[in-house]
Amino acid sequence: MNWKTVYLIVNANRKAYRTIPSAKLRRYYENKLTVYGEYILFCVIGILIGYLVGNFYSASNATLQTTILDGATYVFVSIPTIALLYGVIFTLINKAQQIGIKISAQPIYWFPISWQEHTLASIITSLIGAPLAITLLISSAILTASVFVGLIPLALLTVLALAVSLLLSSVTTEALKILQTRLLGAVTKVAGRGAIYLRLAIMISTMLAFYIIYFVIYSLVYNHGSPIFLFETIANGQKMLWFIPYVWPGMILSTFTNNLGIGTVSFFLATLVLIAGIFFIATYTNTRFGLYELPTIRLSGRTYTPKISLLEKMGFSSIEAALMKKDYKTIIRRPELGVLFVFPIMILVSGFIPFLSGAQSDQSMLLDTIMFFAMITLFPSMWVAGFLGSMLTGLEGSSVWYLFSSPISAKVIVKSKFFFTVFCSLVALLLCGVIGSVIFRPTLLYVAVVLFEAIFLIVTISTVSVAIGIKGADFRGNFPYNRAIKRKESWLHVLMCIATGLGVVAPIVPYVLGLLGSNGMALFPAILIPGYYAYFGLFMSGIIATITTYIFYKIALDNAEQMLAKPETI
Amino acid sequence: MQYTTKTISSQAPALQLKSVSKKFNDITAIDNLTLEIKKGEIIGLLGPNGAGKSTLIKTILGLVKPDSGSIKVLEFSVPQDTVLVKQHVGYVPEHSSAYEFLTGIEFLDFAGDIFQMEQEEKKKRINEFLKALNLEGREGDMISSYSGGMKKKILIISALMHKPELLLLDEPLNTLDPKSARIIKNLIQQLSQQNVTTIIATHILEIAEAVCSRIAIMYEGKLLALGTMDELRQQAKMPNSGLEDIFLKLTGTEDVQLLVEELTK
Ligand SMILES: Nc1ncnc2c1ncn2[C@@H]1O[C@H](COP(=O)(O)OP(=O)(O)OP(=O)(O)O)[C@@H](O)[C@H]1O
Ligand SMILES: [Mg+2]
Repeated sequence: MNWKTVYLIVNANRKAYRTIPSAKLRRYYENKLTVYGEYILFCVIGILIGYLVGNFYSASNATLQTTILDGATYVFVSIPTIALLYGVIFTLINKAQQIGIKISAQPIYWFPISWQEHTLASIITSLIGAPLAITLLISSAILTASVFVGLIPLALLTVLALAVSLLLSSVTTEALKILQTRLLGAVTKVAGRGAIYLRLAIMISTMLAFYIIYFVIYSLVYNHGSPIFLFETIANGQKMLWFIPYVWPGMILSTFTNNLGIGTVSFFLATLVLIAGIFFIATYTNTRFGLYELPTIRLSGRTYTPKISLLEKMGFSSIEAALMKKDYKTIIRRPELGVLFVFPIMILVSGFIPFLSGAQSDQSMLLDTIMFFAMITLFPSMWVAGFLGSMLTGLEGSSVWYLFSSPISAKVIVKSKFFFTVFCSLVALLLCGVIGSVIFRPTLLYVAVVLFEAIFLIVTISTVSVAIGIKGADFRGNFPYNRAIKRKESWLHVLMCIATGLGVVAPIVPYVLGLLGSNGMALFPAILIPGYYAYFGLFMSGIIATITTYIFYKIALDNAEQMLAKPETI
Repeated sequence: MQYTTKTISSQAPALQLKSVSKKFNDITAIDNLTLEIKKGEIIGLLGPNGAGKSTLIKTILGLVKPDSGSIKVLEFSVPQDTVLVKQHVGYVPEHSSAYEFLTGIEFLDFAGDIFQMEQEEKKKRINEFLKALNLEGREGDMISSYSGGMKKKILIISALMHKPELLLLDEPLNTLDPKSARIIKNLIQQLSQQNVTTIIATHILEIAEAVCSRIAIMYEGKLLALGTMDELRQQAKMPNSGLEDIFLKLTGTEDVQLLVEELTK
C-alpha cells in the first residue's frame, strides 16, 4: 500500500468538499483557517465545556464530588459506544451519497490506484466533517475536564478508544457499502416501477439497522431515575454484552476502570484485529464487486398522456405544479436522500422507550405522555420542514441552469419550494401524530394544542429554511456529493430554526408547565394556570408564527430575486 | 416638435447589443461588443476556446450580467425583462445536463409546463420530436442513463418544442449522430423562413458554412468579423479560401504546422 497515494486521495476528496465563492475561483489559494477553522471552533467549545464542568467539580462539596466522579466514569466508559453509533450513521450517510455517483465519472477508478488504497482512503474520507468535529468536541471536553477531576489516564485512554471506535464504524460501513449497492441494483432490475420505493426503503433500513439494534438492546436495560441514566445504562449494557465485538472499544475502558490491566490490553488488541479483519473484508468486497454501477430505473412501457395534476386543481399554476412534481420525483429517486426519513424514524422509535423499559410509576408515565407525545409529533415534521426547506434549492444541483434559463420568477420559486416543504411536513405530522396519539392516548385538548403548535412551527420553519436555503444554495451536484447548502448558511439555518421555533412555542410553555405542575410533578411546583390559557397561548403562537412567516417570506423572495439576477456567481 | 416613428415589429431587430462588456475579475470575456441581428437570421458564432462565445450567449439570455452596455431581445430589455425574454427563447447549454433523476419524457413534460404549453400541443410536439430524433422507446428511462448525444437531444427538444422566436444554441450538434444533426440543421433553416432567429456557437465550420446566413468570429471577447462568407473572404483578403483558412488567418493561428513540429520533436 502506498500511503502517499492514500493521503493524496483523502486530500483531494476533502478539497472537493469545499465551497468557494466564485469571486475567488481564479488564482485560488487555500486559507488554512477556512480548512481547520470549524474543527478549531469545536475544540474550543469542547475545552470550554470541560472547563465549566471541571470548575463545577472543584467548587462542589465532597459528597457531590464522589457522585460526579462516578458519573464521569460512566460517561467516559460509554463514550466509545456512543461514538460508534454516530460514526456508523454519519459514515453510512457519507457512503450512501457515493452510491449514486457514476463510476465512470470518478477519476479514482481510472487512475492507477490499488483497491487497498482506494478502500482505506474511502474509510478515512467519510470521517471528515461531522464525525470528526463531534469527536474533537468530545475529546477536548473530557481531556479538559479530566484535569480538574483527576482522571487523566482514563481520559487519555478514552480518546484513544474513541478514535478506534470511529475507525471501526467507518470500516464497517465501507464493507457494507458495496453490498448495499449490489442489493439496490438487484432490486432495481427485478422490481420495475416499484423499485423506486423499494430502493428507498432499503436505503433507510440499512441506515437505521444499527440504531434500532442498539436502541432495542439498551432500552431493555434502561432505567429511570438517575440523571445520568443513559450513560449508566450503556456502561452496564456493554459489560453484559462484552461478547459483541462492537462494544470492545467500550470494554477497553470498562476493564481499565476495574483495574483489569490484562483485559484492557486484550480488548484493545482484539479491537485492532477486528478493524484489520473488517478492512480486509472491505477490500475484498471492493475488489470483487467494486466496479459496479447502479442500474438506472426504467419506467418505460406506459404511453405518455399529459394530465392536469391535483396541484393544479388546488389552484397552483402549471409552472408551480411542474416544479413541485419534479422535486417530489427527484427526492424519492435519489437513494442518498433516505437521510430525510432516517431521523424522523429514529425519533419515532425513541418514543417507545417508556414501553420497553417496563414497570414505572404513574407520574413518570404522565411525563412520558406529555413530553414524548409532543416530541414524536413535533420533531419529525420539523426535521422534514427544516431539512427539505433548506436543501431543496441546492438539490437542483448543476441542473439549476434550467431554472435560470426558463421563464420562472422569484415568486414562483419561493412559492413552489415553500408549499412542497409544507406538504411533506404535514404528511410527517399526520403520520407521527396518529402513531403518537395511539401510543400515548393524551387528552383531546392536549392533542389539539400540539397539533396547532406543530402547524405553526411547520409553516414558520419552512419559510425560514426556504429563505436561508436559497441564500446559501450550493449547486455543485457532483463528487463527493451535493452539499446543497453552504457551510455558513447551514449554521445560520440551524440557529434561526431554533430561535424562531422557540419563539413560536414560547407562549404555550406556561400551559405545559401548568399541566405538569397541576399533576404534581416533583420537578415543577404547582403553577396555577387557568384552563383557558391554552387558547390564549395558541392564539399568541399563531400571531408570532404569522409575523415570522411573513418576514421570512419577504426575505426568501428577496434572496430568490438576487439568485436569479446573478446566476454567474454560482 | 419631434416625430418618432414606431418600427413595425416584423422589421424590428431580433437582437441588439450595444457596447456590451463583461469581465470575470481580470479576464475580459466580452469586450465592448456591438451587434444587431435581424429576425429570421441564422448567425454562426465562431471563435477559439475561451473567446467568449458561451458567455455572450448567456449574457443575451440574462444568465450573465454585463458590466456595461445594453441588450435588447425582441422588444424586451435584458436584464430587466428576463422572464419575458426567456419565454421567447429556446436555449441549449454547452455542457449542462437536464435533471438526471427524471426520465426523458418527464423532463419534457416538465419543460412544457414551465413554458405553459397547452396539454394537447405539448403531447403532440413531444411525440413528434421523440420520433424524429430516434428517442422513441427510450423516453421512459432516467436521463442519467442516457448517452451523451441522447442527453443533448432531450435538451434540444426542450428548447424547440415551445416554438420560441429566438434560438440560442451553444454547440448543439457536437455529440449528435449525422442523421439527427441533419434534422436539426434543416429544422433551423425551415424555422428561419418563419422568422425564427438562431445563434449557433460552434466549432464545426462546415455547419457554419452550410447553415448560417452570417458568420461572426469572436476573439478575446471582441467581434473580429461579422458577415456572409463572401464578406469574410473580402475582409481576410483570401478570395478563394474556405472558412477554415479564413478563421485561422483572422484569429492569428496560421502557424499550426510549426507548433506540431515543436510538439513531436
Ligand atoms: N464564471 C466564470 N468565472 C470566471 N471566468 C469565466 C467564467 N465564465 C467564463 N469565464 C472566462 O471567460 C472567458 C470566455 O469563456 P467562454 O466560456 O465564453 O468561452 P467560449 O468561447 O465559449 O469557449 P469554448 O469554445 O471553449 O466553449 C474564458 O477565459 C473563461 O475562462
Ligand atoms: Mg463555450
